Amino acid sequence: MTEKSATPVSAGHLLTVSDLTVRFRSHGEAVYAVNGVSFDLDAGETLGVAGESGCGKSVTNLAILGLLPQPAGRVEAGSVQLSGRELTTLREEELRKVRGSEIAMIFQDPMTSLNPVLRIEEQLIETIRAHRDVTVQAARERAIELLVAVGVANPESRLRSYPHEFSGGMRQRVMIAMALALEPRILIADEPTTALDVTIQAQVLDLLRRLTAERGTATILVTHDLGVLAGMADRINVMYAGKVIESGTTEELFAHPRHPYTVGLLRSIPRLDGEAGGKLVPIEGRPPDLVAEPVGCSFYARCAWRQERCALEAPALVQIDGGTQPIVTTGAGATHVAACFNPVAQAEVAEGRPAAGRR
Amino acid sequence: MIMRGALVDPVMASAPSGLWRDALRRLRRNRLAMIGVACMTLFFAAAILAPVIAPYASNDMSGPSLSGPSAAHLFGTDLLGRDVFSRVLYGAQISLFVGVFAVVLALIIGTTFGAIAGGYGGRVDGIIMRATDVLLSIPTILLAIGIVTWLGQGLPQLVLAIAVGYAPVFARLLRGSLLALREADYVIAARTIGGSNSRILMRHMLPNALTPLIVQATLVLATAIIDIAGLGFLGLGPADPRTPEWGTMLVDARRFMQTAPHIVFFIGGAIVISAIGFNLLGDGLRESLDPKLKR
Amino acid sequence: MSGQRLLQVKDLEVRFPIREGLIRERTVAEVRAVDGVSFEVAKGEILGLVGESGCGKSTVARAITRVVKPTHGSIEFDGHDLAKAEGEELHALRRRVQMIFQDPYASLNPRMTVGAIIQEPADIYKVGTTAERRARVSELLGLVGLDPRFADRYPHEFSGGQRQRIGVARALALNPDLVVADEPVSALDVSVQAQILNLLAELRQQLGLAYLFIAHDLSVVRHISDRTAVMYLGKIVEVAPSIELNAAPLHPYSIALLSAVPIPDPAIEKKRKRIILKGDVPSPTNPPSGCGFQTRCWLKEKLGNPERCSTESPVLRETSSGHQVACHFPEKA
Repeated sequence: MTEKSATPVSAGHLLTVSDLTVRFRSHGEAVYAVNGVSFDLDAGETLGVAGESGCGKSVTNLAILGLLPQPAGRVEAGSVQLSGRELTTLREEELRKVRGSEIAMIFQDPMTSLNPVLRIEEQLIETIRAHRDVTVQAARERAIELLVAVGVANPESRLRSYPHEFSGGMRQRVMIAMALALEPRILIADEPTTALDVTIQAQVLDLLRRLTAERGTATILVTHDLGVLAGMADRINVMYAGKVIESGTTEELFAHPRHPYTVGLLRSIPRLDGEAGGKLVPIEGRPPDLVAEPVGCSFYARCAWRQERCALEAPALVQIDGGTQPIVTTGAGATHVAACFNPVAQAEVAEGRPAAGRR
Repeated sequence: MIMRGALVDPVMASAPSGLWRDALRRLRRNRLAMIGVACMTLFFAAAILAPVIAPYASNDMSGPSLSGPSAAHLFGTDLLGRDVFSRVLYGAQISLFVGVFAVVLALIIGTTFGAIAGGYGGRVDGIIMRATDVLLSIPTILLAIGIVTWLGQGLPQLVLAIAVGYAPVFARLLRGSLLALREADYVIAARTIGGSNSRILMRHMLPNALTPLIVQATLVLATAIIDIAGLGFLGLGPADPRTPEWGTMLVDARRFMQTAPHIVFFIGGAIVISAIGFNLLGDGLRESLDPKLKR
Repeated sequence: MSGQRLLQVKDLEVRFPIREGLIRERTVAEVRAVDGVSFEVAKGEILGLVGESGCGKSTVARAITRVVKPTHGSIEFDGHDLAKAEGEELHALRRRVQMIFQDPYASLNPRMTVGAIIQEPADIYKVGTTAERRARVSELLGLVGLDPRFADRYPHEFSGGQRQRIGVARALALNPDLVVADEPVSALDVSVQAQILNLLAELRQQLGLAYLFIAHDLSVVRHISDRTAVMYLGKIVEVAPSIELNAAPLHPYSIALLSAVPIPDPAIEKKRKRIILKGDVPSPTNPPSGCGFQTRCWLKEKLGNPERCSTESPVLRETSSGHQVACHFPEKA
């Protein structure tokens, strides 16, 4: 078996995260937030990250951008390389140049990332001028261009507005305009539509899809909504308890999920096109408390497929069917990998539980 | 039981822990608050144990006039040859007595009006709040001076004067909390299960509005101790000038700043330690009682 | 509709005045949170109420549980009008209509033990002896899948899903006929949502409960409810059996809403045609004339902006058995 993390870091990926480990320490307690996350990202790709609250998906992104809450949060191991340049060791001033101009981020709640006392105009122009040597006039024109691109009507008068004068959907559009202002190579969208209504979500996703495709921006789309990922992502990393537990192309992952947690997620949500009134298969129990150092497979306690071995030994993220081809980490031909000793068989996926006699 | 299948969660490992117990645990970890607790313990011990520890009675002329600290007189003596150490201890008793009674009285008055204003709202709320605005616009010490001048000097008057000054603080604080709590889901839940207004106020709203009051009461106690001393210093302290009240003692001692500075130092120190003690504890309580700061 | 009618809401209106003025307050505007809503719930039925934020669905819940008093209209519940009931009559009715809340962290009093929270309804209505009430708490905890030994714990010791179970136990304490569930799973993690949905479905089976199940998530509503009502800007625009609503929606808003719901299947997602609505929901203080949806309606645009849409408010009318829609041109959709 070939381990993904064991393969040599192939040069040429836009972003390479390897073995990223983040801990929060305070009052003598540690929170094991991210426990060895590795993935690659190429230009033009949309990588979806699925997982529930506390699975480490947001912390991973903050760590990439060097935005971990200080002084508690620290990258304790691993690396983040942007076109071969190490980000985890950069100084704050240098990181600031990376943020926005090379990697931009949009958050769930745009109100917290827009300054409520400044007009949209000032914030957009400030963002542009902080990174580009242009006149106020040129920055202003660029700002109007951006608002047009994200579908804000009357951009010239809207520039004079304050964030609270916008609706939630409009605010998220402004955030996207701001994130794309500097033509970043990577856009990290952390639950960008979770706070929005479904019709507004459709608008914003449509916009994101269009803009990133036009510009060839690589996107990391974090969401708990598998439906959104199905329509948006090229590849998906499923995270649980600070680890990527399954990864593959979107088609492959939805068609042949192998990790019990992925199967659980898929089977526990009602589907609009599903059989009505059918019973859902919930994942029993609750996500683990990350204050204890993880031992064995972190999904062990909730897993219907668990074996004795899982309690003691943490499974590595490997190619499930023992394929011998080298592992591909990006693109449409990305290898399907999962971290499980007793992966779900295709026949069990529909039922969402192990076949009789399997345990 | 009717439910089939496995119980969803195993019994939790930890023992049941109340909110108060949790708060106490957090408070213990707060170093500054613990310093506050130490100062306060010193203050309470001095006040309560004064008759036991004090080597002399408060008005015993037990030594030479204005002598410095010595084995017989730990803090020295004052003009009349009274033991300053003993007088500081008895002074703590006065400060504690007046302070605690004043704060309790202020709490009773303030929470009553605050509960009426926040619990009923509407016109009653408007009237009570305008009245507190008026009271709050007068500096506490000025208000207290007015009351003491009007009612005459004496410890009960002192208690009342300080209580009236701080009652509006509590009233406004409680009203604010109650107004926010009126829209809390669990209060609405209590209404949908048919709880009466008084039940909702007593069981759901007041207990949850309590923590900011406790914090504020601790902080007010610190200010009250200073106010008592301030009033004493202005000559509005206890009726009997021989009473070992810290403010009154400070006035007497001030005249001998040059010759016997230690007297001012020890009395001032006592005031500072007790005020800081309550302040630090109040801040610590605020942090440990706030459920939002919980992990 | 099958079964005996339990609840009948007619022309329900809830308006909130916006007041201004320092000394003498006067009403400067009104929020028409609920603007003439009518529907029925049968005994043992689950009616789903979907809509986006601000459409008035939560206000409907609050009017039925009488957290707010309706401005107009009636809420017939088993021969009584909940909209007008006061005093003893209201107190007696509250017993039979209970509520489950969205936020499991905000809906439990942090200063009461779980046992006290679940026992409170019985305390208020003085049901049984103290020992009986305590036994009932254990029974209810078991019913919702929690260990009865949890009764002396405090809410903060539980996870979101467990707290929601406690909220369900409280709502069931008095054996209600109708449970109004206001977004009961939307604050929970996906893996936990399924636990609560299964629990609610199972309790309905066991206890013959009727639910008014309010949610913004169409997939959830479709999954659990027998019929679904779609709300937009304070009005119900369509009601139909859940399966039918999803298979053959008639109102242009329902059609757009359904098309916007992502389906967790990349093959389907690729083929789907989305109707992307323009703009935002108008303010309920100043709703548009005529049909409330006309400012965003794709069908109106397609039909060449017929005048009727902006002059006449469409009424909810039955197009086929059990399927009602409030649109002038539903057949064109």
